[in-house]
Amino acid sequence: MSRLNSFRELEHLRERLREQRQNITTTVMVCGGTGCKASRSQAVIDAVRDELSRQGLDTKVRLCVTGCHGFCEQGPVIIIEPSNIFYCHVSPEDAFEIVYQTVVKGEVIERLLYTDPVSGKTARIMSEVPFYQAQDRQILSQNLNVDPCSIEDYIVAGGYSALTKVLRGMTSENIIKEIVSSGLRGRGGGGFPTGRKWIECRDAPGDEKYVICNADEGDPGAYMDRCVLEGNPHLVLEGMMIGAWAIGARKGYIYVRNEYPLAVDHSRTAVEQARELGLLGDNILGSSFSFDVDIARGGGAFVCGESTALMASVAGKVGEPRPKDIHTVVDGLYHKPTALNNVETWANVPSIILNGSSWFASKGSQGSKGTKILALTGRVKNTGLVEVAMGTPIRTVVFDIGGGAVNGNGVKAVQTGGPSGGCLPVDKFDLPIDFDVLYKAGSMIGSGGMVVMDEETCMVDVAKYFLTFLQDESCGKCLPCRLGIDRMLEIITDITEGRGKPEQLDLLEELADTVAQTALCGLGKTAPNPVLSTLRYFRTEYEAHINEKKCLAGVCKALITYSIDPDKCNGCGVCLRGCVYGAITGIKKQVHIIDAQLCQKCGICRSDCKFDAIRVA
Amino acid sequence: MPPQTLEQTLEGRRSQPNQLIEVLQDIQKNYGYISKEAMQIVSQELGVPLIEVYRVASFYKAFRLKPSGKNVLTMCMGTACHVRGARLLLDQATGQLGVKQGEVTPDGLFSVEHVNCLGACALGPIIAENGSYHNHMTPAKLRKLIETLRRQQIEDKQNVPAK
Amino acid sequence: MLQYVNVNIDGAIIRATKGTSVLDTALEYGICIPHLCHVPYLSDIGACRLCIVEHVANGRSNVTTSCTLNVEEGMVIMTNTDRIRRLRRNLAELLVAQAPNSRAIQDIALRCGVREVRYPFRNEDCVLCGRCVRVCTEVWKARAIGFVGRGKDRHVDYPFGIRPDFCKQCGSCIQLCPMTIPPCGGPMKPGEECLCSNCESQLIIADEMVGSCVWCKLGEGFACGRYV
Repeated sequence: MSRLNSFRELEHLRERLREQRQNITTTVMVCGGTGCKASRSQAVIDAVRDELSRQGLDTKVRLCVTGCHGFCEQGPVIIIEPSNIFYCHVSPEDAFEIVYQTVVKGEVIERLLYTDPVSGKTARIMSEVPFYQAQDRQILSQNLNVDPCSIEDYIVAGGYSALTKVLRGMTSENIIKEIVSSGLRGRGGGGFPTGRKWIECRDAPGDEKYVICNADEGDPGAYMDRCVLEGNPHLVLEGMMIGAWAIGARKGYIYVRNEYPLAVDHSRTAVEQARELGLLGDNILGSSFSFDVDIARGGGAFVCGESTALMASVAGKVGEPRPKDIHTVVDGLYHKPTALNNVETWANVPSIILNGSSWFASKGSQGSKGTKILALTGRVKNTGLVEVAMGTPIRTVVFDIGGGAVNGNGVKAVQTGGPSGGCLPVDKFDLPIDFDVLYKAGSMIGSGGMVVMDEETCMVDVAKYFLTFLQDESCGKCLPCRLGIDRMLEIITDITEGRGKPEQLDLLEELADTVAQTALCGLGKTAPNPVLSTLRYFRTEYEAHINEKKCLAGVCKALITYSIDPDKCNGCGVCLRGCVYGAITGIKKQVHIIDAQLCQKCGICRSDCKFDAIRVA
Repeated sequence: MPPQTLEQTLEGRRSQPNQLIEVLQDIQKNYGYISKEAMQIVSQELGVPLIEVYRVASFYKAFRLKPSGKNVLTMCMGTACHVRGARLLLDQATGQLGVKQGEVTPDGLFSVEHVNCLGACALGPIIAENGSYHNHMTPAKLRKLIETLRRQQIEDKQNVPAK
Repeated sequence: MLQYVNVNIDGAIIRATKGTSVLDTALEYGICIPHLCHVPYLSDIGACRLCIVEHVANGRSNVTTSCTLNVEEGMVIMTNTDRIRRLRRNLAELLVAQAPNSRAIQDIALRCGVREVRYPFRNEDCVLCGRCVRVCTEVWKARAIGFVGRGKDRHVDYPFGIRPDFCKQCGSCIQLCPMTIPPCGGPMKPGEECLCSNCESQLIIADEMVGSCVWCKLGEGFACGRYV
């Protein structure tokens, strides 16, 4: 395709592409996101493509390989438009039937429909799936219909019209005013008002400015940014372009973590395609705006999600944060004013420009506007990416969308905000998804990760898990983070291994408070949050570990014993064969026994046993 | 596709210190680890002090300073995988192979690593092996996977002389 | 041409040179703020966190390191509040628990008010203050040593762990290192570490003289900025 030199040429291209697709009667969307790919969706894609070709339907039916739709456990997923039919767990062998029955004859294949685990009902179409029903998928729905490797798809769907509107007739003042009135706050965890950040960057002295997209997404259990960047990179690019125009930046970077190879690929392709059309480069669409973007890869460091560490990494250095007495909007990448925003923040910008700030501000709560994408994972029936309006109660997300706990265990808590956040017990589930409310309660929205925990989760172990993670990821420069996290972990390990003393809880709290106040960067400052929030709401679990040397959830190895229930064991010997430590003895068809001395409580026997005969106490 | 040579990796990036991480990543991909010699050449060609190259190579988890096993088993230790028992998988792997994390088995076939979240959380626990993801893993499935990989290596070795 | 600003440190209005840090300004005027990684002729990195002060601005009080905070007109700083002293004491406690085998570190701990150590002692021989790295990098520009590794594994080393030929063994790194000064009672053997109470610096401790300057002496050859 040739370079677009004016707004009119872009509109002409859009019209032409839409005309070309007028003969398309049906679109078959197969998800090619990381989740479905892990469930072998590539084979499904190839099979469907072959089948369409075989049945001579290439011209009438469009195969669109899309990005993630957020319901990864149901993958591989296929959505067929315009009927909105939703198929899950598709295998390559189903391709013929799908094409012949559904695409050609319009008949639904019952066995491929989604069945709700709670109600038992099947859903014919995507909007009938309870998981999707209660959501408000402003950003995620844009993943439908768009092949992330096709700029044409994005243009046909209306892409780059926000950029046109901005370049045609909006001044920097107008753009920033819209962002400010919309109430958009950073979606990466900081929740900083985006408009204000842009003002400070624009007003900072200097001609050379940068915009950066933070796609480091290091929070374990969070994959919202992966989904948006992988599935719709042009949306993010367009947001960055608008921001760059408003701020006066001519260069941008998308910093993608190394562990997202597909997101790196798709971003690179998107940038190349945009350059080809002249949407990146000099005099974009014939205007005075010149802007280009490069992709920078992370090297496997959670700390590089911190803005100053990220900028050091883009410059080819180690990701060690620097003190922020001077903000990065003034002194950022290569010491130039830099506006760094999260993937989701940038993704919200085009729709705010097109639909207006009041539209955006009409959703959400007083202090938190718009929608937020959450990664709902853990011990809940429906795990996946959930987009809801801010202000939605946690209860709605966990129970109405998530379907409640798996295995009939009661939900005990939800962990939000990743390693910087905290755990909230069930009785706090009426709290809304809101930056300030959750912060006051001792947690935070963070980047949007929400891990559901049940009775089999030990909250002391959860604190230990996060401290272990943070110790692994700490850059090690400052004393409170490097030594403080280490000592907190030492104390918690004592507690989980039966050596805990009551005075250690007070020491733990004091140490946590010291680290939170004196650490150099956000990683260290928020590192104590998992400890402090579990102490606040689940102190009894800590006390049980210390005073009674008991782990009620049955997790802490030193405080539990594995044994075989003689009433349930039928002597099949599966556990004996599987035990790596040789701790199980027994004769075939007779009750087996676990030697407590040799048992390492690795849990292999428990997961292997088909008769639920392994007891943990 | 043959791996890129060091020369090809450095092309267009000479005397550009900010390309250090990109260059090291390409070297890691092509050679499986970053050798002393590679670091010395990179230091010279990019104009970055040697200690700085060594520092960056040792800071980021993506870079290995020693060769890894033929099959690298990467366990995801993210929160979602953790509450679904990822810890057990790590114990299983290290126990079955008799190595600690980051080490290579004596026969050079396996090494065990961990990563703090691959972003496929709904399908956890996940193990990545030579670029492909195995989802919903259990200790039993892992045991089978390791045995399968081991058998494959032995078969490959046996097939080579026949060619 | 030097420019000056007026800053308020602990109630004293001080004329400070623009472009200098709060720590440098305070030290010059005799308000001693404890510090470890700060060396007058090296860059400040804010790693040890001992020089923390309260910066009062917009009705809020932020805890920040004085070595990385540059003076500005009208700034209000408090160096010795209860909050700062408690935080500093906890930090110094962590420090001495990690590396008690140095008179300089024991001095700092006592000076910051540490009376008991509630963590098991370890016997590390490096506190990662970075003085050695910075003198090699910034003064001699030899770049023979640097920080490698991350987090718990962070340590100072030569490239690949082998001393390169461009290290001329000038000894500057050793001169600045706080761990080269053994405790008064001699080097502590592993398992016998303790909070030493022999140093003369325990005579004047911040706790007892609220609001006044804390006299400090960090062992010979390891000069506090004030005595340069």
